Formats: sequence, structure tokens, C-alpha cells
Amino acid sequence: MPSIKLHPSSASSTTKATNPQTPANPLPPLLQTPTGLAILELQGTINVPSSNEEENEMIDSPGSNPNIDPASVFETPIGKLMFPDYSVHNPDDTKWMKRAYLYVGRYQRMTGEVKKLPRPVAVLQRHQGEGDGEELEVVEIVRYKIFFKSRPEPVNNV
Amino acid sequence: MATQVSRSILFTHTRPQQGFRLLELTPELEELLTSKDAPALELKSPSTALAQAVIDPSAQDYVNLCTPTQTYRIRQVQSSNSIHILRPSNGEISKADIKVVEEEAGDEGTLNLPDEAVTTIAKCSSTLELHIPPGGFSAIPFLEKSLRLYDRRSDDDGDIAMDDSAASMDPLDAAAVRKIREGVWVDIPVSRAQCELGWMELCAFVDAGEEVGCWRPSARARLGVWRRLVEGAVLQGIDLEKQFLVGDLWKSVLDEDEAAEPPFPRALLEAVVRRICVVDERPALADEVKWASFDKVECAQWVGETYLAAIAPGASSAIGRSDFLRAWKDCLPEPWRGEAVLSKLTNGCYKSPDPTTIHFVEPSQREQNSKAAPTGPAAAAKAKNTRNWHELLKVRR
Repeated sequence: MPSIKLHPSSASSTTKATNPQTPANPLPPLLQTPTGLAILELQGTINVPSSNEEENEMIDSPGSNPNIDPASVFETPIGKLMFPDYSVHNPDDTKWMKRAYLYVGRYQRMTGEVKKLPRPVAVLQRHQGEGDGEELEVVEIVRYKIFFKSRPEPVNNV
Repeated sequence: MATQVSRSILFTHTRPQQGFRLLELTPELEELLTSKDAPALELKSPSTALAQAVIDPSAQDYVNLCTPTQTYRIRQVQSSNSIHILRPSNGEISKADIKVVEEEAGDEGTLNLPDEAVTTIAKCSSTLELHIPPGGFSAIPFLEKSLRLYDRRSDDDGDIAMDDSAASMDPLDAAAVRKIREGVWVDIPVSRAQCELGWMELCAFVDAGEEVGCWRPSARARLGVWRRLVEGAVLQGIDLEKQFLVGDLWKSVLDEDEAAEPPFPRALLEAVVRRICVVDERPALADEVKWASFDKVECAQWVGETYLAAIAPGASSAIGRSDFLRAWKDCLPEPWRGEAVLSKLTNGCYKSPDPTTIHFVEPSQREQNSKAAPTGPAAAAKAKNTRNWHELLKVRR
């Protein structure tokens, strides 16, 4: 069948976000979305030591299974994300968007900003359809991105 | 001072990564997807056979995103930047690993650690963008290739092609017709509304004669239907400009001895009526055309173009202009004859090889002519406004 269904974000994915186990979203509210997904764009690549071969396969295939066995999931720390001018006391002021830091390791820092996307972006994921065939789902619609376009600069540990 | 209070957020990488695609939305799509009862969209590409029959000069393989009413071409745009998808995390990483980010312990003996974290769960190297080409999308070229041509003549009695069972065995019910129709549309990479529009424009119909099939009548067949329809209406005193029952019209079309074996399927009459009836009163394709009325201006235009397409489809078969006008008038009910003037025809639908002759121009040919016009400065200006370097380069090439 040459036709693939693309479902609008379903109720089930919204409830996923309100699940009590979901960690609190530490990003400024502007960057928060119902599912918690956000977009970070940077020039270049973050090299994470790859422990096995699956890395390359996983990266761009929309077919990878989202229901991964939790035991096999692990996180590697990369650095820290900071919005130095953001203040919870003044949430309506958007000047903070002009500056964001991404520390990679302890001694490198990238300076970037939060940008409104020229057009909102839908995050799509494979969806388990009824029975046969591939289906896609809009998991989230994202309107802002954290954008680092400059090269990292060396810094002392903060 | 703000720096003092700002929190730092631990940033981690989660393995295994998940698969996501990013799709840039147009304002209309955003509105549609965020509306309360957002419909499911479809990613459609033509069947292999249709892709070969209807060649798109701009792309070999393509996928279209279809809303119920609109169609967009999807273009995958590679990015040299990496785009990560983040989600909040509990930041559960081993103590040894934390050294990557933070010195192990401050003087106070506590870990100077951010207590909140985000983690990247996917990396995308491309974005899907949507665009609508200048001519828009139409189902007609695809329908023309997928439907069988119906070219039985019903207008003259001596025709021997009229032998078989145009009289259907069992009329199909509405649900069956819909199912058959949709079976055709699945392979057509445009939205439902555009499929419906093209279907109706072509007067396509489903018939269960000797075998169930989807047909598109030739111009000649449509003209034949029209002639019978006018004849019948005049005989039975049906005023086509006022609301009439399509069932009455069908009865008026049949000669007495034809009730058992009609000259053409009733579905074809209904398709023609649906095509030429007053647009505001046109029922949805899923509903039966029960009542209809014609607007003489639009109807006369359709008849003129259909006649020309039937009799003089191309330059080699051009006919005399005055002959055409006379024949056109003869096709119309008496009070409408004044509508038969060349200026009432669609712009570009005919050509005159010399001042006394005229022939029809296929819609596909017309579009090429009008498409050829907006190149040069206009297109360049348009490209300048785009932030997409693919388009910028395309124009310069």
C-alpha cells in the first residue's frame, strides 16, 4: 500500500507526559512542551564513545523501536546546559533567550541562543498501527530551539 | 548577578537512541494538527504503475503529505548541523562518570551537581520540508491513467457498438461504489478532496455492467449524454434551470423500449448532472444527486468545450469556426442559444490555427503554456525571498 497514515498527537502520548514518573522539566517554560521534547541544534557533532555498532543504525532510522528494554538504556554525561540570563522571577522578559551556554566536559563551552523556529516543527515517530503496516504519529509540535552555532571555546571549570 | 541564580542543567546522552523525523509545518497544517479533532494525515506516493504513467518532471520518487483537502510535496533537507531531540531526565549516571562534568566534590564535601537533567534521545541530520509547486496538485492526470475510457456512442441509433449490457445486472449500492472509488484513490498521491474534485470534473463513474469498473467518459460520450438529456428534458417539459428530480430526467432520457436496456448507465448520467449542476447545490460525492438544476452560462460553456473536445480534439482536426458555433447552439436548449459565443469559453481552451478554424487544447497543454510564462525576474525574486539554498541554487543554475 503506497499510503502511510500520519496520526495527530494522540491522547496516549499526552498522558505519558503527565505520568508521575516523568522527571520535572528543568528547561525554561518557553522551551517546555507537553511531552517534554525539545530541540537542540549545534554546528558539529557530539562524539559519544560508542560501545557497540548499533549507534550508526539507530541514528536516522525512524523505525527504531521506542519501547526499548529499560535495563539496556544508559545515559552518558556530556556537560551542562545553562541559560545565564533566565530568571524565574521575570518569566515574561525574553531577553534571556539571547544567551545560552552548553558546556561540553569541564573545559569547553559553546555560546548560543534560544530561537523561535521560523515554522513550527512536528516531531514524528513510528506508531504501532492496527495490525499491518507502518504508521507515523506526531509526537510533539516544537516551536523553539536551543541553537549553538559557534565553535566551543576553552574555559576554566565553573 | 543573574549568573549567580541561574541553574545549570545536566546534559546527557541516552543510548540507545530513538528514531524520530522532523517535519516543518505550514501555518495551515499547524492549525489542523493542533485542532481538537485533528484528522489523520496521509503520506501518499503513486503506485509503481502510476508513477511511470504520470511523470513528474520535478521529482522521480516522491512522497506527498495529504490532509483531507490539501496536498504538499515532501522534501528532505539535509543539515550539516546536528539536531538533537531532548527530553527531561533524572540524570541517573554513575558517580565515576560525573567527573566528566564536575569536579568530584567541593570543599563542603558535597557534589556540586545540577540536580536536574535533560538528555538527548535522538539525533536528526535532516528535516522534512513541505511545498506546493506553482501549478498545485491535481488528481486528473492520475485518474486519466487509472480509469478506463468509456467511449460508447449513444447519440445515434444506428451505432453497433451499443450491443452489450450497459444495463447493469444489479445496481451497486452506495457503499460498494464508495469502496470501489476509494480503491482507485489509494494509489493517487493527492488529497481526498482533490481526488473527489478530479473525479467529478472528469464525470467519472463506477459501473457494474458485465464487470465492475471505474470509467471516465470520452468527450464524445459526454456529449452524447448531454444530447439525450436535452432531448428528454424538452420532450418531458423539464426546465433544466429550475430544480428537477434526477430520477425524472433519467426516465425522460429513456425511450419506451429502452427501459430494460438503457443507452448508457444511469451512473454516467448522474456523473454528468453532478458535473454541470449549480455548484452551490452540488451534493458531496458520497451522496446521491437527487435534485439538480443547471446554470445556463456554466452549462453552455461546458457543452461548448465538450463539443470542441469531441469533434476537434487537436490541431489536425480543426473545424470551421462558424460550423462550431452553429453546432454548439444546436446542442443547447432553445432559450440558451445566445450563450454560444467564443468569449464564454475558458481562457486558453481553444486555438485557432487560422482565422476561420478552431480546435480544442487539452488542459495539460494549457498549463504548460501558462507555466512557461513566470520565469525570469519573477521567479528569481521569489527565490530571493526563500531561505532555502536548494531553491536559490536551482534558479541560478
